[in-house]
Amino acid sequence: MKDLMRIKCLISQDIETLLNQQIKKEAHSSSLYLSMASWCNQNGYDFSADYFTKQSEEERMHQLKLFKYVLDMGGNAISPEVTGIKTDFAGFREVFEDALEAEIAITQSFKNLASRCHKEMDFVTMEFLNWFLKEQREEEYKARRALELFEVIGEEGTGRWEIDKHVNKITYSED
Amino acid sequence: MEKACIDINELVNVFSNTHGSVYQSDKLNCFYVDFGGKFARFNCISLQKIKKVVEQIDIEALLLNTKRADFELVSFNGCEHIYLLNALEIVALKDLLQGAFTMFKLNHLINDCLFRLVY
Repeated sequence: MKDLMRIKCLISQDIETLLNQQIKKEAHSSSLYLSMASWCNQNGYDFSADYFTKQSEEERMHQLKLFKYVLDMGGNAISPEVTGIKTDFAGFREVFEDALEAEIAITQSFKNLASRCHKEMDFVTMEFLNWFLKEQREEEYKARRALELFEVIGEEGTGRWEIDKHVNKITYSED
Repeated sequence: MEKACIDINELVNVFSNTHGSVYQSDKLNCFYVDFGGKFARFNCISLQKIKKVVEQIDIEALLLNTKRADFELVSFNGCEHIYLLNALEIVALKDLLQGAFTMFKLNHLINDCLFRLVY
């Protein structure tokens, strides 16, 4: 009997489901960052608004990268429905706390996916995921550093204005 | 597609239960589901989709809801076939499709061990 399912698709159904869940999570992150950009812009934090807009674009790019991979491997990539995006934040600091929390959730999700790949010995997908795991180092670093600015600079006086100016300057270097 | 049009000898029986069978055609690279009085042809994607649809039906809610009959339409957008099934038939179809997919996995492992990994 021909192995028709394998001929049609390189990845297993479980991996395909997890990748589709990841696509949805990236889409959710992208929308959340855009919502944060909107809030920052409305409250006069222009640099942070730019920072979150860029982050939103990056998350969208991640989503499309995963989407293309599922299709390239012969799977069924599902365009996700994104709902329940937070639009109101209690303050400037909460925006960054939520951003870090979102990145931690994404990292955890990728770790879960990688663990499944190891279990199934799907080294093709594992190799593809390595790029994302490396990317998460930078994403979490930037989100953590941004939040740390609140401790280093402080929110009193012109503190928030200063933090806003510094957010865009955070860069990550492996060296 | 009518059962009479297909040479049953060319099909491989993937999995059967008391309610039906799933066959594979190596010649046409497709599957046939013999269930609920229908002999329906599916490709790989549509078979995966119908399995997903069946698995997503909340059978417990269907049985506990006293305001409606325990019938459910089973189909998806673009599907050529539609099933009107009661709760017991849904359980049987779920069992049939899950059994078939387990056999696909087993067949994949056998193919790997006997043919792909030996040379």
